[in-house]
Amino acid sequence: MKTPAASPDTFVDRLSSRIESLQEGFRKLSRSAGLPDLAKRFAETVGETVPGAAVDIVHRSGDAGPWTPLVTSGSLSDGVLARTAGEKYTLPCTVRRENAYLIVVQKLADKSQLGIMMIPGDGGGEFSEADVVSLRLFVQYFDNAYQDLMFRRNEKGLVFSLNHRVLQLNSLIETGIEVAKLDHHDAPHHLAIVRAASLTNAARGVVTVSSGKEVREEYTFPVGTVVNRSSRDMNSIVARFSFLENTYRFELFDKESRSGATPFEETDHLLLDALARQVHASLENRYLHEQALEKQRIEQEMSVAASIQQKILPVGLPDIAGYDLWGTNIPSKSVGGDYYNCIPLYDGRFALIIADVAGKGVPAALLVSSLHAYLSAYLEGSFALTRLAARLNKVLYNDSTADKFITAFFALLTPENGDLECLSAGHNPAYILRNDRSLVELHAGGLPLGTIDMDLPYKSERATLQKGERLFLYTDGVTEAENESHVLYENEFPVTDFLARHVPDSSETFIDELLVDIRKFTRSAPQNDDITAMYLRRLAGPSQ
Amino acid sequence: MDQEFSLTSELRDMRLVIATSGYVNNVGGGAISTEFGRHFDTGVREVVINLAQSKVVNSIGMSFLLEILEKLHEAGGKLIFTNLDPAVEKMLTIMGIFNLAGKAATVDEALKSF
Repeated sequence: MKTPAASPDTFVDRLSSRIESLQEGFRKLSRSAGLPDLAKRFAETVGETVPGAAVDIVHRSGDAGPWTPLVTSGSLSDGVLARTAGEKYTLPCTVRRENAYLIVVQKLADKSQLGIMMIPGDGGGEFSEADVVSLRLFVQYFDNAYQDLMFRRNEKGLVFSLNHRVLQLNSLIETGIEVAKLDHHDAPHHLAIVRAASLTNAARGVVTVSSGKEVREEYTFPVGTVVNRSSRDMNSIVARFSFLENTYRFELFDKESRSGATPFEETDHLLLDALARQVHASLENRYLHEQALEKQRIEQEMSVAASIQQKILPVGLPDIAGYDLWGTNIPSKSVGGDYYNCIPLYDGRFALIIADVAGKGVPAALLVSSLHAYLSAYLEGSFALTRLAARLNKVLYNDSTADKFITAFFALLTPENGDLECLSAGHNPAYILRNDRSLVELHAGGLPLGTIDMDLPYKSERATLQKGERLFLYTDGVTEAENESHVLYENEFPVTDFLARHVPDSSETFIDELLVDIRKFTRSAPQNDDITAMYLRRLAGPSQ
Repeated sequence: MDQEFSLTSELRDMRLVIATSGYVNNVGGGAISTEFGRHFDTGVREVVINLAQSKVVNSIGMSFLLEILEKLHEAGGKLIFTNLDPAVEKMLTIMGIFNLAGKAATVDEALKSF
């Protein structure tokens, strides 16, 4: 700067003496955190290099528009703004002298403009050529530092953006794992809408579960947010799917940016779709898991029922002198409620019982258990068969639900003479095969046990089993065994025909042959009901 | 899950403790930044942000937190996050926040670590 008492130094000497401070100035500018900071450092550096000079700095984003002051030095500001407002200074960078001022307008790398005005200090005087060169150099430094600043800012933005993509990918995977957790307490669609809002920078989200026109659930994020329906079309994205009878609709609203709202991007759609698909898969898996648990529960129940039933059924039937008795029970996969037994009575007679409970599973097995218990109790005393049936009907009616009842066939055998008293409580008829191969059907009785409590009478009938003759009792698992075409065994092979044609010398052989014949008919078709049968053969020889 | 955003703050020996509640998004991040700036201008350089009641943070909210962090870092200050939900902690980790910030289980623990 020229002063009235000018220094004797030459221009080159003065310029050289400033090199060190220029280098330091450059280093200082390069460490700037932002444009205001850069401008502040610039003003300080210029002030140090050109002692006494004051600096004002303004900035605008383009060729036109208002200037924004970055550094002001009191009264100069208004003057600088006034002088630079009218496009007076042409580009590129030219240092102009105006009165005592140095003024420069520099176009920066991002096409924004920087305006600088330097005025001599209180001592007055004019700026020297060295000052002009210094200012020009500093403006170049400023431009370089500004480019570096933008580069660092872009780099930071890229790193942030990259990290955010990693975060989105990571969260997508983690959300998939979380929504797939079967024991997760939150509903998967709640978690998904929260994550979707967060990852897409949506201001809010809502997931709606509806069935037809009925909205069953609406969950908003943040909780309690009132969704502005009118803004939906303006800035929202949607993903939906249907599962069972419900439609799940995920909707995000108002994508945020630092400057306010911004349109959703394609990747936001993809992300919302992906999360919705994960929820869909999770709901399907939960449903299938529940089905599997239910199946497992039923199988366990069946196992319990089978256990109850097997404990009730006799391990072996009693030996009756002069008779050959055999019975069997082949439980189906879904446990039914078949029962058979032969119980010796106090008076030397034997009670042959075969029964079938309506229904399956534990309830049926428990009802069989009740029947077994009542029989054991009642058969210890003296009774009439019809009265026994009536009492059983009453107690089992009290024990069972409306859809549960028992069909049963009772035959009381007097071994000495082959006398039989028979009663069918709604059960299949029993048959006696006479020695002449004729069949006698036994069907007298009444309603199944436990159906109605109106003291309706039961009837019994009597018959005599001669030596060599046979009695056959069975449940409908025999006659209603199905083949793969759902044809009943009875329709193709009436059990009466089988009885007449098969007269082996052993009751066990008869039962075995019957089972083989049924299996031959049903082939690979699953057994859908218990198969239970009893066969009593009165031996022919006097010594037997 | 998170409600609308709100915050409280207190000064403890020139250390600012901000406790947030709700979604840390543009609104939430802006509110934290404003509260921080108010105290930063008075010379506060040590800050604790308690996110116990904020289970969800989006990247706009995180950009505000990063700015606070950088500003403190340049000024030789320190920022510590506390009471972090695991999901939020993972987010902040991936976004590189803990390259400059600290974390602590509780506010008291954070205050002791300055």
